[in-house]
Amino acid sequence: MSPNGIRVAFSRFFHRWGPGVGIFVTGSVALWIVLLIVLPQLAMFDASFRFNLPPAEIGGPRDLHTLSNYAALLLDGRGGINWLDLGVLGRTILAAVFVTILDLLLCYPIAFVLAHGTSGGRARLMVLGLIVPFWVNEILRAFAFRIIFGSSGVLNAVGLGLGLWAAPVDFIRQDVALYAGLTYTYLLLMIFPIYNAVEALDRNQIEAARDLGSPWWRVHWRIVIPVAKPGIASGATMVFMLTAGALAAPQILGGPSSLWFTQLIYQWFNEGGNWPRGSAYAVVLLLACILVTLLAMRVFKVRIGEIGR
Amino acid sequence: MSARGNVLAARGSVWRPVVARISWQRLLLLLFVAAFFAYLFGPLIIMTVTAFNSADYPRVTPWDCFTTQWFGRFGRDSLLLAGLANSFFIGLGVVLLSLPIGLAAAIALSEVGERARSLLYTVFIVPILLPGIVIGIATLLFWGRIAGSFGLGHDTLLYNGIFLTILGQVCFISSYSMLIFLARIQRFDPTQTEAALDLGATPGQAFRKVLLPFLKPAIGSAAVLAFLASVENYNTTVFTIVSESTFTTVLASKVRFGIDPTISAIAVIIITTTLVAAIIQEARQRRLAARRREALAGVAAGAGAAAVMAGPTGRLLSHPASVAVLLLAVVGGLVWAGSRYDSSACQDALLQQKLQRQQELLEQQRQRMQQQAPAQPAPVPSGAAPKPASPFGGVFAPNNLGLSAPGGAVPAPAPPGAAPKPASPFGNAFAPDNLGLSAPGGATAPKIEPGAPAAPADPAPATQ
Repeated sequence: MSPNGIRVAFSRFFHRWGPGVGIFVTGSVALWIVLLIVLPQLAMFDASFRFNLPPAEIGGPRDLHTLSNYAALLLDGRGGINWLDLGVLGRTILAAVFVTILDLLLCYPIAFVLAHGTSGGRARLMVLGLIVPFWVNEILRAFAFRIIFGSSGVLNAVGLGLGLWAAPVDFIRQDVALYAGLTYTYLLLMIFPIYNAVEALDRNQIEAARDLGSPWWRVHWRIVIPVAKPGIASGATMVFMLTAGALAAPQILGGPSSLWFTQLIYQWFNEGGNWPRGSAYAVVLLLACILVTLLAMRVFKVRIGEIGR
Repeated sequence: MSARGNVLAARGSVWRPVVARISWQRLLLLLFVAAFFAYLFGPLIIMTVTAFNSADYPRVTPWDCFTTQWFGRFGRDSLLLAGLANSFFIGLGVVLLSLPIGLAAAIALSEVGERARSLLYTVFIVPILLPGIVIGIATLLFWGRIAGSFGLGHDTLLYNGIFLTILGQVCFISSYSMLIFLARIQRFDPTQTEAALDLGATPGQAFRKVLLPFLKPAIGSAAVLAFLASVENYNTTVFTIVSESTFTTVLASKVRFGIDPTISAIAVIIITTTLVAAIIQEARQRRLAARRREALAGVAAGAGAAAVMAGPTGRLLSHPASVAVLLLAVVGGLVWAGSRYDSSACQDALLQQKLQRQQELLEQQRQRMQQQAPAQPAPVPSGAAPKPASPFGGVFAPNNLGLSAPGGAVPAPAPPGAAPKPASPFGNAFAPDNLGLSAPGGATAPKIEPGAPAAPADPAPATQ
């Protein structure tokens, strides 16, 4: 967009709403973007290239730029590759993709039923039923999953009681609890974008396809899913990004042997006391997430402007 | 046809195709929806149940005693209450900042041209997609650097956890409010402002008296959403809060370092509040919908709506205010009854039962020792130790361990002969699997006299 275009837009703006509102709008948006979004990210980016110095030396002669923080993620310091941390990153990304697919499989039918299977009071009740659980704190939801999946939890009690398995199964160590909890946490972010997209579909198209003898799966594949695609894309992007960046659920539900990449970052900040290295890891996480998202968008032919609508 | 008949006919037309077209696909879908909602509500229901079990570890089975004691603990937890107060202030600050920003962003989007809009929209939506911890870290580093370049000390505002948390949360919660305002603004008819301007209003007046009143419902829902998102946020807050604490960070550290039913009790309080708010909101929505129907179709439809609500009494009962009063009365009554309920009799009985069982076990063990070691009348520890392994082996079998490690240690103050043995049960009790369920009582239990009421006895042996 050209500077001229901006000027035209703003002059229209001041004309319609007056100088007071014009200043409020441009000022708030500028403060938000510059002070709260762009500059902090740049500060983090810059910090990731610095040495971990005591506060007294910051800004001094030894406060130089370095690539050592990124090198620490890639190399193990003995000439080899740091498979430990890279493995955690890879596993986190893969697990986030898995959770995203799981969420999509669960949410697509629900969104479709919500858009075309119910109406009036029942639809409103369904929406209420979807939203209410998410007013409960994320920590408490993770806690609930720990009660269910713990070695003396409800699931083990039921399984043992019915004789399905003989000894308590450690669902937390198997990461079942983690996946169930993460999938639960971001359900809404998948349902509502798909719902918004599918709702726009004309029911007559479905009826016509049915009348022409299409089986139900082909109706979905050829008619509903193409319409739902932007919704699926934005839902999947949000779920993937937020799952990969999740911290609470992995901390509470993660098994003792499996780390989430965000936990590594957390450790560098809080236990390791090495903020520059934590920043470098955070930058890598961010870039990896963006890369995977862009790749998926390229593969499925979706544009970023369609997200969030 | 009477008004009631009308309503029934309308209902029938909703249901008939469902009944007519019921097939295995439909049934499968119905089952799927049911399973989905079970997944959604199951964890909350189970957590609610555990809040009323007197066992030290939140669990449904085995059931000990119905109790309300965990709710009292919450009221006495000063850490949580301090966190709650901080969360409230942070939420207030976030609402006050993110609503104007979101509104400004939505207005900006609705005014700029097509191409600029998609670019701006992408920028506005980015904070939602950024991982929360990235926002938290970036905020912390940026304001720290600003403070550093101005030479400000660690006791100034820029190092204050509450201030930093508000800024960090506003960064992405503004996007949420932007989306809500945008959805409403898209339905705004610009000719309304033009009419106001033609009639002599200044642009500022047109904004205040035409656009803002139109946006009022969006302002309400954006405020509620922003406040809830702020209170429940963890990923960003855990970095920006520095040395302070919020409700969520306190909860998280409680859950991470050992879990007890107090947390379930907190969940019950939150769930109840949520449900009450949701029902009142639903009553309001229904009333608004009924009013709209009346306004649309005049008197005849009005009679229909009255029939749904069964006359003036029903109408009074379904009024949001009376629904609110009714629900609050019910909740208040339950709280009152709960605060008067005393489960100590049941718990004492249970404790007695367990102690008795423990005595029996000790007795059995003693007998077995006497049978197996008749040649050694004096209780020499080394000689007697290997023998009692079998009763302990049963007690500490993996099946029983998870349930209550603290109690597991209670049989330890057995006769001296058994003393060396508990080493292995402890080894099990602190195995990684049992961490978190275990330990408070575990280390101290051997010092407690058998029969001291302070030691929660193991319920597991009783089932054997």
